[in-house]
Amino acid sequence: MKLGIPHFGNVYVPMKAIAQQLGITDALIIPPPMTQKTLNLGVKYSPYEACLPYKLTLGSLIETCELGANTLAQARGSGICRLGYYAKNQEQILRDLGYSAKFLTIDVSHNKLISILRLIKNLANDASWYEISSAFFFGISKLFALDKIEKVVQEIRAIEVEKGTANKIYHEAIRNIDEATKRKGIKDITKEYIEKLNHIEKNNKDHPLKVGVVGEIYVVIEPFANMDIEEELGKLGVEVERTMTLSRWVKYSLFLNYLGADEWRKVHHLAKPYIDHDVGGDGWESVGEKILFAHKGFDGIVHLAPFTCMPEIVAQNVMPSTREDIPVLAVTCDEQQGKQGLLTRLEAFVDLLEFRRRKNGRRIYNTR
Amino acid sequence: MKTYLGVDVGSVTTKLVLINENYDLVASIYSRTQGNPVDMIKKGLQKIRNQMPQEAQIAGVATTGSGRQLAGVMLGADLVKNEITAHAVAAMHYVPDVQTIFEIGGQDSKIIIVRDGIVVDFGMNSVCAAGTGSFLDHQAERLNIRIEDFGSHAMRSQNPARIAGRCTVFAESDMIHKQQMGYPIDDIVYGLSQSLVRNYLNNVALGKAILPKMVFQGGVAFNQGIIRAFNETFHTEVFVPPHNELMGAIGAAMLVHEEMRDDHRKSSFAGFGISNTEYKISSFTCKACPNLCEISQIAMDGKVLARWGARCDMWDRIDKK
Repeated sequence: MKLGIPHFGNVYVPMKAIAQQLGITDALIIPPPMTQKTLNLGVKYSPYEACLPYKLTLGSLIETCELGANTLAQARGSGICRLGYYAKNQEQILRDLGYSAKFLTIDVSHNKLISILRLIKNLANDASWYEISSAFFFGISKLFALDKIEKVVQEIRAIEVEKGTANKIYHEAIRNIDEATKRKGIKDITKEYIEKLNHIEKNNKDHPLKVGVVGEIYVVIEPFANMDIEEELGKLGVEVERTMTLSRWVKYSLFLNYLGADEWRKVHHLAKPYIDHDVGGDGWESVGEKILFAHKGFDGIVHLAPFTCMPEIVAQNVMPSTREDIPVLAVTCDEQQGKQGLLTRLEAFVDLLEFRRRKNGRRIYNTR
Repeated sequence: MKTYLGVDVGSVTTKLVLINENYDLVASIYSRTQGNPVDMIKKGLQKIRNQMPQEAQIAGVATTGSGRQLAGVMLGADLVKNEITAHAVAAMHYVPDVQTIFEIGGQDSKIIIVRDGIVVDFGMNSVCAAGTGSFLDHQAERLNIRIEDFGSHAMRSQNPARIAGRCTVFAESDMIHKQQMGYPIDDIVYGLSQSLVRNYLNNVALGKAILPKMVFQGGVAFNQGIIRAFNETFHTEVFVPPHNELMGAIGAAMLVHEEMRDDHRKSSFAGFGISNTEYKISSFTCKACPNLCEISQIAMDGKVLARWGARCDMWDRIDKK
């Protein structure tokens, strides 16, 4: 079996680590990083009105097929979102294109942990459950390390003197963590890179503008889908925070939620006066998170939504009615969006936030 | 006398203004970009120099508009500002109690919401240019009238024709149909103006809190027909500031004045000599990875000054060597 997975943020890192631990590296095809080629493939073979995550994952699956994958893993769920149909639909499209790859689905609505472990078991048939779980924990420890480093990167990007330095170090860290073979090694690398990041030369502007990123999980986490919006905000001197990370998803959806924790309890509670039920995807959470970031004293919100995404359209229309007065920049992600237009909007948004601070009597920290 | 140069390189027109320290307009140039921003900037700068009073010196340069990066490199700008902020700053200067700014230019249209002197929200067309100057230009051409006469035709209309405004192509077929039905040209022209305003309000301005006082600026604000359509839609007078077409450039000049004053900086203006310098703009496709980025670059005397369009920093790095 040769398994292919669609590219999604740093998901490939733990997947590769798990395969390595179980000695089945040959059975896993690492998806190439997302490029214009991935997008073009996805757009070409997807229904026109499908959303960007659908198109990108389809493009990515085609690329893994080209690299020899004969089995594909895709998410499936029962939320009120098109994600539920991705797997079935894409399987049909790939079949029509002449790829005979078998589809395995990972249920991301129920029994997520079992679904994922079963997939790994499938991949490494003769491995014991003990070996599988220890490989699994090794894999996700890489994910936690990466998100820990990224958090520091999000802070440093805003205040570094030489723009792009933090990003370079971050990519170096991803490579090194990806190559680490021991748990202890991951810890050391994490420490080393956080130290490196903290040693980057910074400008003397403390309290940079802070923006919270909310929205649909795929376009929020995958930088290619959102045109590196976090990096661009960093270049404009803005510190970015986002609640949604892969490690958080693993922590709650795969573990703590089984123990009765509710990762979004607070967020849902805050959103209650305006929207009191799941509207599919991450719509409910987007509204609640906007309020949460406002309470934390953030300067603004960037709301990322794939074009035609119903849950986020609902969220977008509910947001203005919340009592919390915090500027929101709605960014629609699709293959038609040009980067220049996005940059103009981001610059204007950052100006808006700065003027607001000035008016509120606080110092302006223009880091450009 | 200290003066500040603001340059707004738009998709259709290039604007250059010179203001003094009291924000008064000292000199201004308004010309069509004609797809050649480099030449337009060079020529415009020469004309500004001719209009400039003897004792004036340039103490700051700012660029804005879709060609702001290019113009910024050429002119050695002290400030490169997005057009949304630039327009807002200028509008608030001319109309201090403004709450809504409509800006319709050659190929983009914006709405800016202002409350108590600060921008609180804005919108900009992203996928469609149906409600912009280029659209009117094109339709005027079809009707065989000069765009300058568009307004007077619209003002004479008694029974405007209803024309679909969602899409340029459909508007055109609608217009042809109305022409064949024998509608007078005045009614078609005003119907077109109404459809542009409708399209703008349903698109760019959708969901925005539009309150008076409303300011209408940008090149299209010259068009009496559009002003009439706005006025009739809101049952109130939409205010067109003086120099409506130059507002972006004026805003940029105001901002650079403020910044130079606060930072006590010396201008990095490249000088009027650039009018005689040869610039070469070229583009190529980077084949280093499957992204196939389209890189464009500007070079002076064989030396590359800047590059744009790359997803990664590969081409920036080469610049610094």
